[in-house]
Amino acid sequence: SFSPLSVVPRFRCLGSLGKAAPSTSQLSSRLYGTLLAPEANQQLITEPLRHPDFFNVKELFSLKELFDARVHLGHKKGCRHGFMEPYIFGCRLDQDIIDLDQTMKHLQLALNFTAHVAYRKGIILFISRNRQFGHLVEVTARDCGEYAHTRYWQGGLLTNAHIQYGTGIRLPDLLIFISTLNNVFEPHVAIRDAAKMNIPTVGVVDTNCNPSIITYPIPGNDDSPLAVELYCRLFKMTITRAKNKRKQMEVLYGLQNKGGGDGNAGSHLSSVQV
Amino acid sequence: MARPSWSRAWQLLGAARRGSSYGTGDSLGPGVSPPEPEKRPSSLTSALGAGSRQVPSKNVESFASMLRRSPLVQMGPAKDKIVLGQIFHIVEDDLYIDFGGKFHCVCKRPEVDGEKYQKGSRVRLRLVDLELTSRFLGGKTDTTLLEADAVLLGLLESREIRQKE
Repeated sequence: SFSPLSVVPRFRCLGSLGKAAPSTSQLSSRLYGTLLAPEANQQLITEPLRHPDFFNVKELFSLKELFDARVHLGHKKGCRHGFMEPYIFGCRLDQDIIDLDQTMKHLQLALNFTAHVAYRKGIILFISRNRQFGHLVEVTARDCGEYAHTRYWQGGLLTNAHIQYGTGIRLPDLLIFISTLNNVFEPHVAIRDAAKMNIPTVGVVDTNCNPSIITYPIPGNDDSPLAVELYCRLFKMTITRAKNKRKQMEVLYGLQNKGGGDGNAGSHLSSVQV
Repeated sequence: MARPSWSRAWQLLGAARRGSSYGTGDSLGPGVSPPEPEKRPSSLTSALGAGSRQVPSKNVESFASMLRRSPLVQMGPAKDKIVLGQIFHIVEDDLYIDFGGKFHCVCKRPEVDGEKYQKGSRVRLRLVDLELTSRFLGGKTDTTLLEADAVLLGLLESREIRQKE
């Protein structure tokens, strides 16, 4: 679960999240690109932003895979949330069917965003209050080197972090909700709190969930084990891929700097994929 | 979005399927698509639209056609349908059985051959409902139990022709 002690090694205050002490902001600019020259560092950060799908997340999943994992199955018509109606394909014998064409698009956007956050060394927090998959989510988070919170959410975890855990705490840069509801079928408090703290959220929304405040909603089934295993696998692959890409790019730019030549930078990068 | 016409088209399709001979002895394993006669009136095909047609050159099936061919849709109403399930979790006398729907069902271990029901055993079920929901007084939405309802009929007989997963 998300414990403050595990955050300390990555001690960097981002100015947009809470009040950063003046001394730490200077520290952060120094720590940000420790071994690279400023121009190379700048290109390292901006290069992925030039491509619509830099990490090629499209190839990680297919329509058939989503279908076989029962991602299109929703709850009964009576459980439907009004705001989910645009994402629903139809209603078959009282059971809502989610439109997988839309899910594909949303999933691609969400995975792309997750990859970019992981590439930039952001902290990702997995949240799921579904007891059936709590362990799976925690294992997924551990395997990709990120964090998970699958227990009771204390009120001030995000909004009162500086008082509860001390000043200069670094908050997560992305929240991934495997299930956006808590145990009483209400929206998870963290959705609202993340919106308050300007933290982007990615969330799997079922037909009984409210997708409004979530930054990158993924309409899909969050109750079947096959579907949840698929999501966990996809997020793990994306984050791992993005982190490996980052290491690759740092090596590339590190060699570039040592070599002294920066003329081949653009062509070299465009040929490197995956 | 033409959602009302879609749902009506599905109900019409369901009625057409129910009209054709569909014995109660039909067994559907998870992921099996039984061969279906292509007798669909022309008005329905026009209602279903271009999205349901397959593109043979690209060999990529559209979501609508995948859905239409899926066993869940071909089955029709879940009431009294015989399906195959697999036990994925056991808590003493309760067997958690997954039969390919959104939710699993929980059945009591029967007295006959009780110890033969272990994790991974294949069983036969008669479905009652795919999801147990009900609207209670004063509720805005239905309350769901996150479970399906089925009657356990017995173990899958190994001598029967096993349907490929």
